[in-house]
Amino acid sequence: MDFTFLCSGKPEPNGRKVAIIGAGPSGLSATGYLACAGYKVEVYDKLPKPGGLMVFGIPGHRISPENIARGAEKLEKEFGVEFKLRTKICGSEPMHEETGDDMAYTYKSLGGRVEDNDAVLICTGTWKSRRMEVPGHELPGVYSGLEFLFPVRAASYEIANMDVPEIKGKKVVVIGAGFTAVDVVHAALTEGASRVSLVYRRSREEAPCGSMEFNMLEKQGAVCMEHSAPLEIVGTDRVEGVRFAPCVMSEPDEAGKCRLTVQKEESFVMEADIVVTAVGEMGTPPFAHDLGLDNVRKGDVKWLQMTSLDSVFVAGDVLMGPSKIGKAVYSGLKAAKSLDEWLTLKDQGRLDEFQDEVIRREDLR
Amino acid sequence: MQTLYLDYSKCIGCGTCESVCKFVHTHPRIIMTRTPDGWWVPLYCQHCQNPKCMKACTNKAIYRDPDTGAVLLKQELCAECPTKNCLMACPYVAMICTGARKAPITKCNLCLDRGGLGPACAPMCPCDALMLVDHEDLDKVKTPEAQKAYELVRQHIICPECPTS
Repeated sequence: MDFTFLCSGKPEPNGRKVAIIGAGPSGLSATGYLACAGYKVEVYDKLPKPGGLMVFGIPGHRISPENIARGAEKLEKEFGVEFKLRTKICGSEPMHEETGDDMAYTYKSLGGRVEDNDAVLICTGTWKSRRMEVPGHELPGVYSGLEFLFPVRAASYEIANMDVPEIKGKKVVVIGAGFTAVDVVHAALTEGASRVSLVYRRSREEAPCGSMEFNMLEKQGAVCMEHSAPLEIVGTDRVEGVRFAPCVMSEPDEAGKCRLTVQKEESFVMEADIVVTAVGEMGTPPFAHDLGLDNVRKGDVKWLQMTSLDSVFVAGDVLMGPSKIGKAVYSGLKAAKSLDEWLTLKDQGRLDEFQDEVIRREDLR
Repeated sequence: MQTLYLDYSKCIGCGTCESVCKFVHTHPRIIMTRTPDGWWVPLYCQHCQNPKCMKACTNKAIYRDPDTGAVLLKQELCAECPTKNCLMACPYVAMICTGARKAPITKCNLCLDRGGLGPACAPMCPCDALMLVDHEDLDKVKTPEAQKAYELVRQHIICPECPTS
């Protein structure tokens, strides 16, 4: 990925300095935009390599990590971008425990970044997995999609204190039907699990990943079970199985709505050594509350994609929730452009002229 | 005689090409679509050797750039006709109706307006699936897997009677 697609070479420096927090798709795209505009950019990331989930979440057969590494290397070597890896930026709020935090060696404050730079862009993504609230979800052997995928991917880079789940010969049950679930099934099969089952409460036609992925996983040896909802995870001191119940879609009611009914009396237990619940991720930005991210989402801010802290901008999944790489790239580019315009007008002392400018609905998309 | 080429077997449907195109041109010209079985793929202009859009346009607003061979739209000549025959003619769904009142039609111009930087989408593809190639070199980059994946896309979206190359 060549993030500097907007220019042919390093431009004259414009004297401005920006810090970008998070080296995923949105952070790197913004870095490319700003490097092309002559900014001195430093990029912080808690992980040992740039790329974020493109490198540490999405399997290598989908996105080659070398392709991302090449793009980051070009930013570093040709455009003088400084990568500060294994560095986590924290706010005043209590630390979140997110996947991958244990890879950071250094902790720095957001306030310090704001003081040292003309602007800061937060692109920290969604690293906290949503928990499935069923009894037994805290048993050892139950992982979230990221908790399972991240160590498997990270293990190929370096591995001090990495708690890699032992997969070989185990029975793995994956709950969910998004692309994370698909990648988990794939990883489990590659790592030599004896049996991998994908369980979804609706039909494969309704699955977010599409029926084609289901068919392909079945060809690769996974067992796909539709119309089954998890009731509880069973086991005494670790996971022994998952109790599922069949799910039936009711006939449309008066309002035309079909409801999913769980037939609890027909429940059954599926044996499992490892259970992975891939049911979504959440963002955990530093200073979440002070930044007023809800207002940014609604466009209720002074400047497009600027948080309630002056000169702090936000982009990517952390703002919009987990989505596709393309959406993150667009958000990063848009925030970088907005940041550049804001600093330019500020330097010219013309910000007041645009104070009443309305942020249109289409700008937020 | 250059064209954009997408290896559908490498594409993961992330939509980066569409986003980058949207950022550069406001209205994206490479468009993500989803097949009935849930496969996300981009559709794009292949800058055909024998473009149907060019034949369909009665105003001759679509022409071939003599230097690069790209099939381009001359916005000033576009009559913004209500029938929009070019849209219907394109077998790759690559003529775009933007919905804007002025200049309602747009199409890929291989980013010739970017001052020699080339297409913006290709270098940003995380999967190295998109590239700018010469028509003559197309056979060299087409792998059997790519051709198979392309046939699958064609079954779903692009008309089955259309020529495969």
